[in-house]
Amino acid sequence: MMKHLLAAGALCVLGTNAALAHITFETQEAPVGSTYKAVLRVPHGCEGKATTAVRVQIPEGVISVKPMPKPGWTLQIKKGKYEKSYQLYGETLTTGVKEVDWSGGNLPDEFYDEFVFRASLAADLPAGQMLYFPVVQECGDATDRWIEVPAPAQDEDALESPAPGIKLLPKK
Amino acid sequence: MRLHTGPIAWLVAVLMAVAVLAMPGRAFAHAALVATDPADGAVLEQSPARFSLTFSEPVSPLVLTLVRPDGSQLALTSFRLNDQTVEIDNPEVLKSGTHVLSWRVVSVDGHPVGGSALFSIGAPSAAPMAGEAPDWTLRAAIWAARLFLYAGLFLGVGGAFALALLAGDVRRGRRFVAAALLLGLVAAPVSLGLQGLDGLGAPLARFATPAVWKTALETSFVWTVLVGLIALGLALLSLAGPPGLRKLSASAALLCVGGVLAASGHASAAEPQWLTCPLVFLHGAAIAFWAGSLAPLGLALRREPAEAKVFLRRFSRAILPVVVVLAATGVVLAIIQVQVPAALVHTAYGRLLLLKLVLLLFLFTLAAVNRWTLTAPAQAGDTEVQRRLMRSIGIEVVIVLAIFGVAAGWRFTPPPRALAIAAAQPVSIHIHTLEAMADLSITPGHAGEVAASMVIMTGDFGSLDAKQVTLVLSKPDSGVEPIKRPARKPGDGTWRVDNLVIPLPGRWNARLDILVSDFEMVKIEAPIEIRSD
Repeated sequence: MMKHLLAAGALCVLGTNAALAHITFETQEAPVGSTYKAVLRVPHGCEGKATTAVRVQIPEGVISVKPMPKPGWTLQIKKGKYEKSYQLYGETLTTGVKEVDWSGGNLPDEFYDEFVFRASLAADLPAGQMLYFPVVQECGDATDRWIEVPAPAQDEDALESPAPGIKLLPKK
Repeated sequence: MRLHTGPIAWLVAVLMAVAVLAMPGRAFAHAALVATDPADGAVLEQSPARFSLTFSEPVSPLVLTLVRPDGSQLALTSFRLNDQTVEIDNPEVLKSGTHVLSWRVVSVDGHPVGGSALFSIGAPSAAPMAGEAPDWTLRAAIWAARLFLYAGLFLGVGGAFALALLAGDVRRGRRFVAAALLLGLVAAPVSLGLQGLDGLGAPLARFATPAVWKTALETSFVWTVLVGLIALGLALLSLAGPPGLRKLSASAALLCVGGVLAASGHASAAEPQWLTCPLVFLHGAAIAFWAGSLAPLGLALRREPAEAKVFLRRFSRAILPVVVVLAATGVVLAIIQVQVPAALVHTAYGRLLLLKLVLLLFLFTLAAVNRWTLTAPAQAGDTEVQRRLMRSIGIEVVIVLAIFGVAAGWRFTPPPRALAIAAAQPVSIHIHTLEAMADLSITPGHAGEVAASMVIMTGDFGSLDAKQVTLVLSKPDSGVEPIKRPARKPGDGTWRVDNLVIPLPGRWNARLDILVSDFEMVKIEAPIEIRSD
């Protein structure tokens, strides 16, 4: 009995550690056609070095993105054309934010921080599927790229540097 | 050698030298397989339209066979030669399962080499049997024919030369020499036929079939046999022909013996050709001079001791420069072939060379004793010494035959030089996916310190300006952690990883992480077979 408990405990701890090592979202699922507050959790630097920039690519279907400024970090957005147009509150959107960069900061490997933006998830995004936000983490001259997206039928755990993602839920 | 420096002899020598240098067939070594398509071990979704085999030098195919998963064989007869690549048409749609592409080609040194590549359609199945065990009967026959050919050429032609130019009025040994020549005349065409059998991998029973001889005639060995037959014929002419032609035809025959060795074989195929071809030529002529003189000289000493004195004097005067040429050419050729002293012990070729050196040591010791302690009293007419000299010469002939036997064994052992060339060949794979494709070669293609070179393209052969390429080599069954190395761009359109160490031979998984843009990485992978040496 004790053995099983220990094993389960060990598994639990190991499992959490593995998840903690990646850059992930605090909220891991959201319904389509809703507003989503994305909190990117950055648990460590790049192989011991302090994080100096975090850049997020916004996938198609995520519109009206507004990042939250962060003291000590320079916030920049890159805008571009959407692949198609979206309706939001009676407005037609064809362009918008494609990338959000927080740079010029200094987050030592020992510390933890969060990077936040708010966005609308388009109503026509496929519910039931995962939506991935590739992230590049820069630490001076070192770079960690959290940009791997699992191939169909591939287990996400097999990836070395998976992109953070959320599960799309049906529209409420 | 002032004995045959008359103008006609010079003319013959020049003509022979020209013939040797103009001999067709620039070769480097045994051909080594560099790449196959499909790659060895590949799993294909569909039956390929063609196969290809790429070698380290131009080859001509002898037998190409596809072994189906059920073990049945399909002869592949439609192929094209494209430089060093053999492109083979696949005549049928292959069913799923593991197939073996078995090949047998002849390289320009005249020696056939064979091998096979496994690939599967759909999914691997149990590999069909395609391996061929060496045919020991055939090998023994090839070896024996080679030994008899050497005996005919060196003892026969060399003997005829000794009789014509050294022996004076002594006629002893003519029957021995004639017998050796006839042996050579039989062994030469038999050797050619056996070469054809070996080329096709056919058993001895098929010796008389036309395909065997057709194959034999396409190898460079045909030149060896042709020049050999000319040498044997000229030697017979000097033995039985008009007296006026004796010296001329015997000299020409001796030079032809040099040409025989230079026409094919490992040593004459080695680089640099301008050096090895003349060296082999001189080596062969020197062997014939020495070995050929022994039997007539020994027989003359036994039967006509008085008349043999002139023979002995001429021989002992000429033999020193001949042995110097023999030893010098032999040493240089051995250095070219063996390259590193360790190969003397580690390769079959090197061990045969060591054996030959031991025999030579005996031979040289005997010869030196004969030359410096026995020759003078024998010339002075000491009959007891003459008898000892004769016995010693008899032993020399036996040792010489043993040396021929060892040299005939080289027929089956690629020299270390060729092994080194084969070991230095890269292994290459082609990885093709929808998103990207890559040609990866690892040089040399064996475990140890290597360099990897990669050419990256998009899946539809467009240029792909990758921001970064990382090579990941893994071997999950070995317990070795994956080797992950960023590639650099030397500016010639390739990506390179230098000073890479692959710790183990075997089947590795090569993965290329190609950073297409800041947020997009394409990973493509394929197995790659790393040789052990």
